[in-house]
Amino acid sequence: MDPILELRGVTKHYEGFSLRDVSFSLPRGYVCGLIGPNGAGKTTIVKLILGLAHVSSGQLRVCGEDPATAEIAVKDRIGFVHEVPSFYDHISVEALASIVRPFYSRWDQPLFDALAREFELPTRKWFGSLSRGTRTKAALALALAHHAELLVLDEPTSGLDPVFRRELLERLVAYVADGQASVLFSTHITSDLDRMADYITFIRDGRLVFSSTREEVFDRWVVVRGDPGVLDEATRSLFAGVEVGAHAFTGLTDDAPRARKHMAGRDIVIEPATLDDIMCYTGRTC
Amino acid sequence: MLRNALRKDLLLNARHLWGILPWFVWVAYAMSEPDAGRITAVGAAFVGALMATTIAAREDKLRTSATLASLPVRRRTLVQARYVVSYVVGAVTYLVVAAMAAVLPWSVQRAAELFEVKTLLLTATLASTAIALLMPVVLRFGLLGVLVFLGAFQVVGVVLFVAADFFAARSGARLFFGTIERGVVALYSGLGQAGPIVETALIVSLSVWLSFRLSVFLAERRDL
Repeated sequence: MDPILELRGVTKHYEGFSLRDVSFSLPRGYVCGLIGPNGAGKTTIVKLILGLAHVSSGQLRVCGEDPATAEIAVKDRIGFVHEVPSFYDHISVEALASIVRPFYSRWDQPLFDALAREFELPTRKWFGSLSRGTRTKAALALALAHHAELLVLDEPTSGLDPVFRRELLERLVAYVADGQASVLFSTHITSDLDRMADYITFIRDGRLVFSSTREEVFDRWVVVRGDPGVLDEATRSLFAGVEVGAHAFTGLTDDAPRARKHMAGRDIVIEPATLDDIMCYTGRTC
Repeated sequence: MLRNALRKDLLLNARHLWGILPWFVWVAYAMSEPDAGRITAVGAAFVGALMATTIAAREDKLRTSATLASLPVRRRTLVQARYVVSYVVGAVTYLVVAAMAAVLPWSVQRAAELFEVKTLLLTATLASTAIALLMPVVLRFGLLGVLVFLGAFQVVGVVLFVAADFFAARSGARLFFGTIERGVVALYSGLGQAGPIVETALIVSLSVWLSFRLSVFLAERRDL
């Protein structure tokens, strides 16, 4: 089956920032966490998928189609939550839904009503008077109510309370369970992805560092800690990033077997890397 | 899809469009003045169309452009809807003034006169000019662009007025305003004959079409 989302050599140039040669794909029925520090290019990827920005070069396919030529068909199958859900402030959530509804061919009003109740949305209140978390919930209800095949969520958990955050993550796992829909989840809160992401795509400085299954990531990436004395030119070359303190160094590598072999017998500790470790240590050279 | 986009613009901006109410209060007052009715009706359509044209600028201000562009609708359709909304609002404001002329007991303006072909064509020409000029500016430069554009017009107008007052006949300003006035009068009287009607219709249609093409081009190439 075709992947629901496929980027091949996608490049986007802005003044002062470029997303370069990014390639990854997301099969149906999975959650992909898009991680990276602020300014890495996550939101740019989201914008390219939603057609808010234009690809400079490369190929982007959503649901098997090119969004540039099948714009409406593609967007009809995407649900989105932007980083800061913005709409006209003087309109109620109820009215907002009535405006959005006719654009979608598979809008499900009973589902939207049920989601609004479940999320405890004050549907008659003006959008502008809602907290950021409640705005996100409203945007999420709109995104889910038209049976989207691809959910594109840009930092959706920022501003959410821990209880709803957990519920949201569980909901997303359930959403993809039938194998028909997928979720692209951009975040820098990596703990959101530890349990629910099937794939992890890591972007840094506009470049793809890796895109793999979560198992592969946790199998391959390890953190090595030890006395700075063991660091020499050869051991440094093992690491994708290394931080040296007064009494210890921390190195990150995606080749755990080689690190174990190379540093066997030395006074070091090798631990599985967390996504936070990968984000923090990649590229560090001090 | 155009219908949905049109509905969206009207629903989202209905509240803002009430901002034209003070104009109608002034119109109600002016209806007792001989000949004021016709001018206020044409002005109402002009102002209404102008206000509706700035919808995109408000979307910029509220940062909703990205949300709207993420919906399954082409940007071309969103632009189309804005042109249609501008004409609809212009027409509605004109009809409101015509209704006021008919019902206000102190009105000296006969409502039927507002539906003379010449007056309607002049209104359509002026409203179309406003829409055609402003829409690409709104789409390209957003709220700031509109403010600068309209502000610059105001400043230039004030400067020219002051210059005309101080330097009277020596100033080119008087000539400038005189030319505009004579142009509008000539246009108005010309719109009673078939030839000028066709010429004006062609020029206005071409201007609006070019403006629309430019607006679509600007909207489609813009990264949000």
